[in-house]
Amino acid sequence: MSLLYYGVLVPADKAGLLRHLDSCGSCGLEWDAIRRCLDAATPETVFPREAEVDWREFTRVAVARARAAEAARPATAVASGRGRFSLPWGATFPVPARMALLAAAAVAAVILWNTGLRPGGAPGGGPASPDSGVGGQPLASLLESAHAMQDRLARRGAARYLRDSRALLVNLVGPGAPCRRAGGQYDITLEKEKSRQLLRRMNLYEGGLGALEDQRLSTLVRQLESVLMQVAALDDCASARQIHDLREQIETRQILLRIDLVTREMEGRADVV
Amino acid sequence: MEADDFTLMEQVRRGSPGAFETLVERYQRRLYRLACGYLHNHEDALDAVQEAFVKIYLARQSYRPSAHPFTWASRILANRCIDQIRHRRVRPEQSLDEAQETRQGRGPLPLPSSEESAQTRQERRELRSVLQGAIDTLPPRQREIFMLRHFGEMRLEEIATALGCALGTVKSSLHRAAAAIRDHLARTDPALRSPKGESS
Repeated sequence: MSLLYYGVLVPADKAGLLRHLDSCGSCGLEWDAIRRCLDAATPETVFPREAEVDWREFTRVAVARARAAEAARPATAVASGRGRFSLPWGATFPVPARMALLAAAAVAAVILWNTGLRPGGAPGGGPASPDSGVGGQPLASLLESAHAMQDRLARRGAARYLRDSRALLVNLVGPGAPCRRAGGQYDITLEKEKSRQLLRRMNLYEGGLGALEDQRLSTLVRQLESVLMQVAALDDCASARQIHDLREQIETRQILLRIDLVTREMEGRADVV
Repeated sequence: MEADDFTLMEQVRRGSPGAFETLVERYQRRLYRLACGYLHNHEDALDAVQEAFVKIYLARQSYRPSAHPFTWASRILANRCIDQIRHRRVRPEQSLDEAQETRQGRGPLPLPSSEESAQTRQERRELRSVLQGAIDTLPPRQREIFMLRHFGEMRLEEIATALGCALGTVKSSLHRAAAAIRDHLARTDPALRSPKGESS
């Protein structure tokens, strides 16, 4: 009967079922009950807050965000995939390649060490025992150190990124520069450019941030991305309403406070690791 | 004449002016309802839909007309929602704004119209609560199929394609979902009982 309700029965089945419902009292009651329940489940009843949304504004923001995301993409398209990490000079490698690189670096270090390049070691010194690694350190320990270093660099990078984002948001929250052109009230040319730079940097960091496996950081970065995209999508001269909306988002989500907390945590852990 | 969804998606791919706006306008409410079904939170659902549209736009060249555009869009949204649910499970205590959003969810309701009596409002609130309870009790797969059909207005074939299951599975799940909702409502809401139930 639910298939009848949703109009997905083939005509022959539908006609047969309707005939049966006419003649069978209990099935007729069942059909009435199903129809009442499903009729009652209207979007207005189940999603009452849908009516609160200004869908025209929602469309505008969605389109602006999409275009801003695309505008921010070309320079970093290569580096933007998840599961990649970036090196300081901008090259990127997929995650499996990272492990291979680390292992190769460790093996190379062992070979160099055992062929007499050990600082202060005897040239041509005898090979270390197979399980001893470098200077008596096991290979696992070397890899661990490499991971720790990578982790520390990623945390410092994240902290730097958050600090820069914070500076931008503080600018937005504070008194805005008046716009000289007609049609807008606040000149946000600089903020727009800075947002684009930050979005590009975020694409570069993305793999590194994912490797940190810090959910609080990734949630914050996701929300930050949303705000940055909106800023990047604004006109150079923004209206008071647009700036007000951004400020409201920043305040409602306590983004500045959370940036402070996460940055402090990143910096603390970067020093400890 | 309004372009059908396939034509519209082709226009989006070609970058025709206004095409993406039209697509957003056409799909946003249906996607919002689906997102609500996954996330059970108004603000999260709006965020998820926004992000899904960004992904749809960025990935528009990879769309293949073998799937209906809404099917494709709903999968992008579903993946986004599932990611968000995973994040919540990994670190449920993490989010400062979750508390904020919960508070917002309990914020003042929109002002009721003057014609609406207190009793009508109360009845509607109760009905909403019962319906949401009924939908929430469905197993995840049934709930997803029900939401896609009832609120996403997708055809059963499209749902089967989107979820990668047989058409028969979609039909039986939809039937079970509708029956479960009917049973739940019949137990909890006298107004929705069958006429026989009302008379007794």
